[in-house]
Amino acid sequence: MSSKLTPLLAAAAVMGLGLAGPAQAADSIPVGHLSAFTGPTSDVGVPYGNAIDDAVAYINAHGGINGKKIDMPSEDYGYEIPRSVAHYKRWQSSLKPVLIQGWGTSDTEALTPFVTKDGIVFFSASYSGHLTDPTGKAPRSKAATPYNFFVGATYSDACRAQASWAMKDWKASGKEGKPKWVHMGANHPYPNAPKEACTEWAEEIGFDVLPPIVYPLAPADFKSQCLALKDAGVNYAYLGNTAASNVSMIKSCKTVGTDVQFVTNYWGFDEPSAEAAGADGDGIVVPAMAAWTSDAPGMKTVHEVSKMSDPEGKKARALPYIRGVCSAFVMRDAMLLADKSGEVTSQSIKAALETMTEHVPAELQGVCPPVTWTPTDHRATTQVTMYRNNWNNGNPQFEMLDIE
Amino acid sequence: MDWSLLLAFAVNGILVGALYGVVAMCFVLIYKATQILNFAQGEFLLIGAWICWATIVQFGLPFWLGFLVTLAFMFLFGVLLQMVVLRPMIGEPIISVIMLTIGLSIVFRSAMNWIFGSHVRSFPAVFDTDHVEILGLNVQMPYVLSFVLAILVVLGFFLFFKYSRMGLAMRATAFDQQVAQSLGVSVERVFALSWAISAMASALAGVVIGMVNGVSSSLAFYGIKVFPAVIVGGLDSIVGGMVGGLIVGVIENLAAFADTQYLHWGNLLEVVPFYVLIIILMVKPYGLFGTEDIERI
Amino acid sequence: MALGADSMRCGEFHTSYRTDIRIFPTAFSRNMALLGLALLALGPLYLNAYWLSLLIQIGYFSIAALGLNILTGYSGQISLGHAAFFGVGAFTSAWLNNSFGIPVLLCIPLAGLFTTLVGLIFGLPAGRLKGMYLVIATLAAQYIIEDFFNRADWFTGGTAGTMAGSVELFGFAFDTDGRYFYVVLAFLVLTLLLVTNLMRSRDGRAFVALRDHYLSAEIMGINLNKYRILAFGISSFYAGIGGALYAHYMGYVSVEAFGLLLSVQFIGMIIIGGLGSVMGTLLGVIFMVMLPQVVTWGAGALKHLAPQLGSNVSYMQEIAVGMAIVLFLIFEPEGLIHRWKMTKAWWKLYPFSY
Repeated sequence: MSSKLTPLLAAAAVMGLGLAGPAQAADSIPVGHLSAFTGPTSDVGVPYGNAIDDAVAYINAHGGINGKKIDMPSEDYGYEIPRSVAHYKRWQSSLKPVLIQGWGTSDTEALTPFVTKDGIVFFSASYSGHLTDPTGKAPRSKAATPYNFFVGATYSDACRAQASWAMKDWKASGKEGKPKWVHMGANHPYPNAPKEACTEWAEEIGFDVLPPIVYPLAPADFKSQCLALKDAGVNYAYLGNTAASNVSMIKSCKTVGTDVQFVTNYWGFDEPSAEAAGADGDGIVVPAMAAWTSDAPGMKTVHEVSKMSDPEGKKARALPYIRGVCSAFVMRDAMLLADKSGEVTSQSIKAALETMTEHVPAELQGVCPPVTWTPTDHRATTQVTMYRNNWNNGNPQFEMLDIE
Repeated sequence: MDWSLLLAFAVNGILVGALYGVVAMCFVLIYKATQILNFAQGEFLLIGAWICWATIVQFGLPFWLGFLVTLAFMFLFGVLLQMVVLRPMIGEPIISVIMLTIGLSIVFRSAMNWIFGSHVRSFPAVFDTDHVEILGLNVQMPYVLSFVLAILVVLGFFLFFKYSRMGLAMRATAFDQQVAQSLGVSVERVFALSWAISAMASALAGVVIGMVNGVSSSLAFYGIKVFPAVIVGGLDSIVGGMVGGLIVGVIENLAAFADTQYLHWGNLLEVVPFYVLIIILMVKPYGLFGTEDIERI
Repeated sequence: MALGADSMRCGEFHTSYRTDIRIFPTAFSRNMALLGLALLALGPLYLNAYWLSLLIQIGYFSIAALGLNILTGYSGQISLGHAAFFGVGAFTSAWLNNSFGIPVLLCIPLAGLFTTLVGLIFGLPAGRLKGMYLVIATLAAQYIIEDFFNRADWFTGGTAGTMAGSVELFGFAFDTDGRYFYVVLAFLVLTLLLVTNLMRSRDGRAFVALRDHYLSAEIMGINLNKYRILAFGISSFYAGIGGALYAHYMGYVSVEAFGLLLSVQFIGMIIIGGLGSVMGTLLGVIFMVMLPQVVTWGAGALKHLAPQLGSNVSYMQEIAVGMAIVLFLIFEPEGLIHRWKMTKAWWKLYPFSY
């Protein structure tokens, strides 16, 4: 009767493993990595998580941080906050990371009180405006977030840029009257992050802003929302969700026959989505740092990084991958700076980050936006590059748009 | 009041409701035969859609062949599932079996994510014309196909249960297992067959939805939508399942209409089926067509 | 009925009704329980924060699962909406503390009472439903309450969630894992005593009668409606307390944590532990909390041995959790408590155990 022995054995094994703990190499820098390989955001979480893993492997293979290797266990938390908190607590007692590479808006905002209390630098893939105020004094801030950093423009800024582009596009096409703008997204921190700021901005620059439309993060049939769009005669719609549901929305709306120009958030569209959306995805505008096919000088480094997990260089990586590489390389630069001043600790990394002005990692010119952090302002950049999907009859290409 | 828009919503509701109805009928089939609430119903849709996608895109088979292969696969899958996992659970308290189906749904969903990835994939275009217009709404060909298929499925079920021997055997087992057994009906075969047919029909629905929206793990949510449909229709009535599905589809879309025009709450259409469920349970606890449980001492 | 497991033990002679219904039937079991409690109380001295956090998780989930056990295990009403009540408790406690400045230690029982009210409201219609219809109705309740959480900005902070303060007693803050452990332990012991007491009282017997044969119960004069609604209320009370403890531990409450998945996990806890048994619930909670951890350890070990698996390990983790539940249910449908009783019987009857 093994069934009564098995739980005992399992418990013993767990105790043994737990009490032993991982052997920590001396002279290594512990970093925690929360990834969302499973869960509702996995379609964009997988390339980003892969990028962080590949980039750290690349950094370690090319000299590390002045000889010290980065020790980064990667844990999947499936976009569930309790799991991310559990990983965090476990790391506190075993790994003791100096920096955490995180992922989504909801768990970053949940972990913020913890990392602020424990003083650990937190790089997120969430570019929410709530994470940019180290002192907590700005009028719309909910809490002070001195240890939160992210490499990218905030969602609010990106949305504002989209709205400005949309107004330019409207005027350039010579159409009369006030164009209609609507913010679409799930009722969730990630799509909600830019809603207020963006809606205000759109009104300011002359849009007729309609009430926001809700659609869930999971792909489904969205014909009802599309019918509403069509009936209201909306011209520009901002899609705040991640790629999976956006693709469904785009397809549903094309079949209903709506004539809307969609603009999305950073994580709202990428190359695999362009393939899934097919001809319906022609003309979608998405902010990104650089596309895999761009000929910026730094893109060669990204190709090299990708070879860490794809030695033959066959995979074409999606837009989230490039953002992950940027995040990891900025982290490396901060650690190098911190190491120069003595020890690599959370405090020294934070101080190093807050001295960066218009910084781009040396090998990634033309790929990552220049980032600036100060002790009172953690908005890295306000530069937004936008790409438009050109379906090209079955061979989707992402083309950079001119920004003002 | 925008009547044309309302009509468009209503037509959409009927089309979507037909799909809900097919899934609900499959759910009721399993419940009637084996008294199990199958929480993994949504995953049947998912598996069917992915298998069909794989046969068409990865193996390059023509659509009709891939579709038939999918149906055959799902039939076998249903039979195997019943034989391996559910047969040991005969006689156990019903809540354990429900938990088991929930565990299965977790396993299936993760397995599908693992094998096929988490990106949305679309089917290659199957039909020449993209859509037809019905009463002011652009209806995609796959939806027309689904409606036709749904009607065929209902007809098929009806004919099967009324006129074939096996169908009669299934009805007998659903009515009283022991008596059916004593009359020589192989209850094991009935169970296996009910799971197989349910899996097949769900896969059908899954393929259709996949053709329209793309295949992704969200197909599994249809497994939750099925609950309001079967409650409205009655847990043990197959016809009720279809009717319930249609009603839920229409109400959802009418709620969406009210929401976008007047209320602006945002996601009324997601929760409205559950409010309807509660109201129906208050008024008619056994649904529209369910058999009332007369308690005898 | 296994010989030796449930029959009277050697040396156990009850001469009065009072001794018969004692919570700890023998001096040995009482001493073991006290010893276990003492070991736990000394826990923060020798356990690190990771284990303490696991024990705290086990603590508040146990309290909520005991509530569900009263509802499903003892009264036979299957509920898929338990996570929603857990969430009501969590949000209420945070809201009371944030809006009215009530000290957290008071907020927790108040949250429990408020959740009881909500549970009673849901129990009113649920009392009329039986069997599968009740299961589905509670599923609907789960979604409806979740939607309410999403919408009620004033109460829950909407989808962004809300912060929950830490427990303070006369200025002494229980904000480290070690200190919070004692708070949770205190509540857990209290809950265990209350629930076990409930089950040996008149109301507890009424619940069991309700589950076993409600027609006979009604004939005997037990008011079915009253006890059905009461079961919902009491189970919600414990769910609320568990939720409040969760909220103040995490420091942050957000609606996503209280979805159908958590409800399913609660049901899993009591089924795997064994329906209708207090100790079984504890065992079931330990299983469900440790399962992802064990799988994570296994995944970590697997990554060292076979690094080319890469991100596939995450999928294997998910599948492993589901498979563990499935396999457990197939091979031990009566739960861990049954296995425990078998083990005890084996020891007692050795060498005649079979």
